[in-house]
Parts: sequence; structure tokens; C-alpha cells
Amino acid sequence: MLEIYNLTKIYPNGIRALNNVSVTIRDGEFVVIVGLSGAGKSTFLRCINRLVEPTSGRILLDGVDITAASPAELRKIRLRIGMIFQQFNLIRRETVLTNVLCGRLGYVNPWMSLLGLWSPEDIRRAMQVLERVGLADRAMQRADTLSGGQQQRVGIARALMQEPTLMLADEPVASLDPATSHSVMRYLEEINREDGITVVCNLHFLSLARRYATRVLGFRAGEIVFDGHPDEIDRRRFQEIYGEDAVEVEIA
Amino acid sequence: MSVRQKPAPALPGQIAPPRGPVLAGRLALPSLRFALLVLVLAVVYGYAWKITKIDLVQLVTGAPQMRTIVMGLLTPDLIERVYDVTVYEAPLLVREQAAAQSAAGGAITVTPAQAMPGGDVEVRGQGLPPGAQVQLEVVSRTGDARRAGRYQIRPDGSFEAAFELPRSFAIGDYTVRATVAQPLNQWRPSETLKLTAEKMVETIFLALMGTTLSVILTVPLSFLGARNLMSGSPLARAVYYATRTLFNVLRSIEILIIAVIMAVVVGIGPFAGVMALVIHSIGALGKLYSEAIESIDHGPVEAIVATGATPLQVVRYAVVPQILPQFVAFTVYRWDINVRMSTVIGLVGGGGIGFILTQYIQLFKWHQAGTAIWLITLTVMAMDYFSAIVREKMA
Repeated sequence: MLEIYNLTKIYPNGIRALNNVSVTIRDGEFVVIVGLSGAGKSTFLRCINRLVEPTSGRILLDGVDITAASPAELRKIRLRIGMIFQQFNLIRRETVLTNVLCGRLGYVNPWMSLLGLWSPEDIRRAMQVLERVGLADRAMQRADTLSGGQQQRVGIARALMQEPTLMLADEPVASLDPATSHSVMRYLEEINREDGITVVCNLHFLSLARRYATRVLGFRAGEIVFDGHPDEIDRRRFQEIYGEDAVEVEIA
Repeated sequence: MSVRQKPAPALPGQIAPPRGPVLAGRLALPSLRFALLVLVLAVVYGYAWKITKIDLVQLVTGAPQMRTIVMGLLTPDLIERVYDVTVYEAPLLVREQAAAQSAAGGAITVTPAQAMPGGDVEVRGQGLPPGAQVQLEVVSRTGDARRAGRYQIRPDGSFEAAFELPRSFAIGDYTVRATVAQPLNQWRPSETLKLTAEKMVETIFLALMGTTLSVILTVPLSFLGARNLMSGSPLARAVYYATRTLFNVLRSIEILIIAVIMAVVVGIGPFAGVMALVIHSIGALGKLYSEAIESIDHGPVEAIVATGATPLQVVRYAVVPQILPQFVAFTVYRWDINVRMSTVIGLVGGGGIGFILTQYIQLFKWHQAGTAIWLITLTVMAMDYFSAIVREKMA
């Protein structure tokens, strides 16, 4: 269970990205966060694994206070939180396999990993995960030779190597075409349903949220203005999240 | 879903303010400023011309002196003929009184075999290779050789030479040595070429050591000089500024000055050159490396941090792969520059080919200087080509 209390983030330039946000996310939920650019969605996600340092507030994952964790404790907590990104953030010049193995960095002997040495057990596990996202045959290719959708699947594989209980997805399909978007979203749905991994996902397109989410959080100006089932979002609710002048556009 | 916002309506009544009078007031000013600028520039350049003593006439009148230098450069000392050398020796006694008989030594005969100081000595040779050269010397018991002329062997294989012993010539037993050098149809690399090539290799290794040592020292420093990695705490920022200042200072000291100082510290020689290269390269490479680190994509760093990796693992997996190609390219480029620099460093006592080139120039040995200059040119061209290939491959 992920509990967030009074989370506020003010950037050094004075922008208040999150304003007193409190929300509880139960295990196994597929939460989609929607809202305009700059509404605080990315900051919210990054506060959960402290890629962004919160200004105030508390975040608890299964009762463990993330915000109070020391650097070493934080690394232990991050092991259980997988993350995928809009720009995939793979190491472009390394092989697909090495990229996936990077998900084990928190588990392995640091000195062995600095030498680039991996245990056969980890390599076998990486191949299994690659098999699962349908990229086992690409293991030895350089990551930047893959298409966008394939790279995002490598990103998912890397996160799965952490054996996470929580998966953060920051605009995972914003750089992909509609068909590929659905394929990536289906992998997230699969790990949510089959592995019981809680998913918290930022999305631009409400249509994708309606299709995949069990719960939608609407962000506006750093505050949660909607929290409920995707079907509850009608025209009025939609305008609360996106503003008076917004018009909903469908994605295929 | 995506969102379309209605454009904000333009505010009514927004018209550019009238600018006529303002413009008229400014018109006169720029031309006055321009005239002032021209005047200042004229004074500056006039003074500069005088101070630097530019004298174009001298360029023309001095041109003939260039000829020996240019001729030397155009005819570098590269190869030399192989000679078949035979040495003949005959005894020569120097006494108070002369005796009439001759002394023979192989193909040569010395008359008289016993001579007085100030007396005439005749040397004859027979059955020698026609066209070869004979070098005559009078050698004392202790090995002091006094030259007594150079002669050409006649077509019939003989030569005749006569010289006068100086009046001050000491009494004693001497040997007349005739060194016959017969040119063969064989050529070999000249001693100059061998020596300069050896010094060129020394120079390349000097540059290699200078570059390698500076890379070893600069790589860790460059991480401390990268703003994106060193913005965490006030201490980190202080280290960042200190490192960057160090780079800037080292880079701004001219390498020749460092070489002169190091020659004083560790003595004239290649080591002083290596140290000069190291100190200067740290500044130059540090700046390039740090900027390469600063220009990395932050995304992979975020992703690796999010896996729970330690800071060292983040550097190894998210930073190093991104900077490696640039680091290699910068390093090869620096080595290329250092080979060029180390030839110049030699001029001020940093060893290598530059050192020997200065000596040739000071002794007016233009052919030998030409050899060195050609070798430097070819090496630099080769390095330039090589470094371009490596940089292209790593891009």
C-alpha cells in the first residue's frame, strides 16, 4: 500500500508543482494520472521514488517512510519500485541484455557490477524477462537499433528485473504511435493482473485511461481534482481537470 | 486525449508608439561615434606598427639569406654513400737529423723515413683503386692524429703527396696513415637520418607519456568539474568551482613557459617535456572532458538511479557509456596536439627532436635541420590523419 500525506513540492525557481497532495493507493490497483502538462503529474511520480526530493509531506510504501529514508535505505526501497519513462532512458550504446541486467544493480555485488560481470543466474533471469516482452532474439543488439515500442518493452523488462511491487510509468506511450501505445499498455496491464504489481501511470490520453485504469487521478495545478473510476469522468469532470476550453480527442 | 485551448483575443488599441522624433535625435550620434572609433583604431594600429618594427623593405633585402636555409630544407641529409675503406700505415721517425732511406707500409712509401722538424716528407702510393680519395695523417705514439692533406688517386692507381712538418714538431716515433676510401655503388641512411629518427621516436613517446599521464589524472578530476554531477551540496559546488579554476589556470599558462620551468626543476631532457605536456594537458583535457560529462542525457542517469543503484554504479552504467566516445576522440586529438607541441618543447630543453633541431640550426647545419623538419612534418601529418580516422570511427 502506498500512502501519501500532504505532499508538497516547490522547485527552487518558486514553482509550486504539488500542493498538499494526499492519496492512498491500494495494492494491485492500476492508477492512471491525467492532467495538463505542468499539472504536477511527473513531479508526483518522481517524488514517490525520490528522484525529485519533496519539499514537505510523507510517503509510506507498505508502512516504510520513504521521505525519511537514508541514502542506503532509499536504495533498498527503490529496488521495489520499478520505473519506465517517456524517452525509455535506455543506455543507447549498450546491448539490450545489459540494459535489462541494469535492473539488478541494486541486488548484485557492486564491485562485480563495476567490472561489468554478471552472474549466470541474473543472465538467465534477464533472458526470461526478455522472452516475456517478446525480445529474446534482440538480446545482443545495441539498444538504439530497436524501434520505440521495442525500447519501451526493454524498459519494462529492466524494471521487472527489480522484482518490484510498484511500477511507476511516466508518460510511457507519449513518444509512440497509437498501435504501439496499446501494445505497451497491454504489457503494463499484464504485469498488473498476473504479477499483482501496483501500477501508477501518467497519461496524456484520457481514452487510454478509460481503457486500462481501475482508478483515475485528475491533477490540476498541483492538486488532485478528481479521484474515481474512469467511467465517472463526464464532460463536467473533464473540464474540471483540463480547463473550460478543452475538447476531448480520442486515440484509436 | 489532447487539449485545444482557444487563443487569447488580441488586446484592442495596441499600436506601435510613434518613433519619428526619437529616430531623428539618434541619427547624428552614430556617425560621430563611428568617426571616433576610426580615429582610435588609427592611433592604435599606427602605434602597433611602430612598436613591432614592421619593415617590409628588410623582408626583400634579407631574402637572399633565406636561400641557404631553403636550399638546406630542400636537400635534407637523408642518405650517404657507402665507402670501402682501407688503411695503410708506414713509420716516420722525427729526429734531429734526416736520413735518406724510405719506409714502406703496404701500398704506400714514405720518403724520408727519418725526417727533421720543418723538413719535407713525400708520400707515394701505388696499386690503389683509381678515383678513390686518400686522407693522410701523421699519428703519434699516443694516438694524436695531425691531418696532412687529402688527395685523389690517379687513373693508374698511384698518388703523390708532399707536406712539410711544422718546425715545432716534437721529436719521436710517428706513423703516416693513409686512409683510402673507395666509393661503392651502395647507399645507406645517413647518420643524421638515424639520429633524427631516433629523436622523433623519443618525441612521439614523450607525447604518448605526457598524454597518458594527463588522462589518468584528468579523468577523475573531470567528474569533479562537471556542473551536473556537482550541484548537490554547497561543498560539491565549491569543489566544482575549484576544479574548473584549476583547469583554467593550467590551460592558460603557455606550454613553453611550463617547459622552461620544468627544465629548471627536473633538468633539461625528455622528462621536463613530459611534465610540461602533462600539466598543460590536464587543463585542456579537463575542460573538454567536463563539458562532455555536462552534455550527457540525464534520462539514463534517472533510470539507473531509480533501479536502486549506488552512485558509482550510476557513473559506470549511465554516465560512462555516454561519454566514452567523446573521451576517446578528445584524447587522440590531444595526443596529436602533444606530438606537435613536444617538437616545440624540445627547443627550450624538453628533449626530443626539437632539442636536436635547435642544435642544427645554431650550428648552421641546414641540411641536417632540413632532415629534422621534414621528419616532424611527416609525423604530424601522419598523426593528424590517424587521429581523424579514430575520431570518425568513434563518432
